[in-house]
Amino acid sequence: MDWTFVSNLILAGVRMATPLIFLALAELYSQRSGLVHIGLEGLASIGSLAGFLVSLVTGSPLLGMAAGAAVGILVNMIYAYATITLCAEQIVYGMAINIFAPALAAFIYRVYFGAGSELVQVALMETVAIPGLKDIPFLGPLLFDQTPMVYLAYALVIFTAIYFNKTKSGLNFKAVGEHPKAAATLGINVIGVRYAASVICGALAGMGGAYLTTCYTTTYVDGNVAGRGFIALAAVIFGRWSAGGVLLACLFFGFCDALQIRLQVGSFGVPYQFFQMIPYLATVVVLGIIGMRKAGPKASGKPYRREER
Amino acid sequence: MKKFLALALALAMTLALAACGGNNAGNGGNNAGGDGGEGKTYKVAMICDSSISDGGWGMSCYNAMVDAAEANGWEYTYSDMIAQSAYYDTIVSYCDQGVDLIYAPGNQYTDAVLQAAAEYPDIAFALLNGGENTPGEAENGNVTSLLPDAQQVGWIAGALAGLMTETNIVAFIGGMELDTTKGKYEGYVESAIYVGEQEGKTVSALDIVYSGDFSASDKGIEFAKAMIDQGADVFFGDASAVDSGARQAIDEANAASGSVKIYDIAQPSDLLGQNECIIGSQVTDNSSMVGLCMQAVADGSFGGEVIYGTLQNGALSAGAVSDLVPAEKQEAYQSYIQQMVDGTFMQ
Repeated sequence: MDWTFVSNLILAGVRMATPLIFLALAELYSQRSGLVHIGLEGLASIGSLAGFLVSLVTGSPLLGMAAGAAVGILVNMIYAYATITLCAEQIVYGMAINIFAPALAAFIYRVYFGAGSELVQVALMETVAIPGLKDIPFLGPLLFDQTPMVYLAYALVIFTAIYFNKTKSGLNFKAVGEHPKAAATLGINVIGVRYAASVICGALAGMGGAYLTTCYTTTYVDGNVAGRGFIALAAVIFGRWSAGGVLLACLFFGFCDALQIRLQVGSFGVPYQFFQMIPYLATVVVLGIIGMRKAGPKASGKPYRREER
Repeated sequence: MKKFLALALALAMTLALAACGGNNAGNGGNNAGGDGGEGKTYKVAMICDSSISDGGWGMSCYNAMVDAAEANGWEYTYSDMIAQSAYYDTIVSYCDQGVDLIYAPGNQYTDAVLQAAAEYPDIAFALLNGGENTPGEAENGNVTSLLPDAQQVGWIAGALAGLMTETNIVAFIGGMELDTTKGKYEGYVESAIYVGEQEGKTVSALDIVYSGDFSASDKGIEFAKAMIDQGADVFFGDASAVDSGARQAIDEANAASGSVKIYDIAQPSDLLGQNECIIGSQVTDNSSMVGLCMQAVADGSFGGEVIYGTLQNGALSAGAVSDLVPAEKQEAYQSYIQQMVDGTFMQ
């Protein structure tokens, strides 16, 4: 195992972690306001298609990302209206989004392209190297020679950490997820915060999906989100509902997936199933080590009824 | 009132979902025109676990069905992106609709096909890449295996790989661990090594890798990047959209180096021109084999047989070769293909 192997492995891990970061941040904002959202997979699916189509039509992956965010918000408003205004069960509606949105994406794809079977490909977003910094040995290519969306993902992590811990608005936001009635008595608009969280969640989840088709793969295939929505959900729990923890968890999941791929290639006779187990095995081991000492926001999953005592 | 609204919203989403038809809702429902010749309009349905727009296996199998249906005047329909747990249910739903022929393009559908074939004796089932013994296992004799010779498929790609590799390392990406995939890999490796020897090279192959999923084009990218790091410079695969991802990574690596030095060989249809890195294709004429099934259904003689696809009967062939392959290597390649047809290859 040489230095190049390690460097390429970490690079692959970063590449695979980026969409997870968008999705996990989406979940973090949602859960911090008290909304458990298991529908990220669906939001990412529709965002992925929107990003692909807009990128194809306009030739601009950046507009594709914006479209992914917009469509993510739009679809997530179904969830928001049902769970915030109508106080419906959050898990049920999250699951409904997971079934509805990918089917809608498949339907739109067929309507747009017909029953044709040609492989449609789009141009990906170009990488933007940061002069000087990209030449730093090892870290340079990992951190400073990426697409703008990778920079955005890491910037969002920093922003989120500061927002939740150092700003009054962020503390109010967290208060809604911890004890909405107490927050309301302090004059915080609980419903407003939860809708704002849903807008942020929809936008980030849609961007996570759009990243796949505007920055990662040149094609759109049904099912290309491939369970990332659920991994992101696990990453938030793994990361203890903090921005820094979520980042580390996403990098960990990305690294494990990259590791199993790289080890399969150089396995030399070891059954490939052994390497495919690595991400799951690592998850179990880490959960066992860190335990579940700290629970999430206390009002997570509970509807807020203003009239209720 | 809120409960009513929540229920109404759920109902609206369910209805919208039903309208979309689910993930596997690529329902063509097309009429190729005409009828089966005796007033009856025959209908074929294809099920597929990958997308028909994957630029590889799903696309080629779908096109084969469409071509055969159009040639024989059949209607056709399809469902793609079907989960493994839904193979049987999807087949049965088409059986209940009264289709005449179920076309299942892959060894992985064997169990579901045999189960449905036992319950629907009047419906014909064509299993592409089915086992040689599979028709005999169908108690109603209504299953036919369409069996392209996996070793020859691998040979066709391997010969070109052996000629073109400069690093002397070739690579193969599989989707799932199927007998046909392993057969293609083994044929590919033995052919590349043999042709390499004839050209004075010592060619080796990286171990076969499996994405475990036919839709994960991102894994194709990562596998290809890892294999390029290991020195591989000619790729072949059997993994549908994963292959498309691999080609993307190869094109990117070539663009970064400023010249096309890493190549891909496509299958099962001629995909030359789809990506810059594709230097040739192994072509399987699934259309003719599906067409034979349709004719057998129409004349009442369907079932219980294995229709082989080989270089000798024309069902397998080598597709067009890119200009990236020098003329003398193109000539040598055609010579090796002729040896395969004559049965003298590697003798």
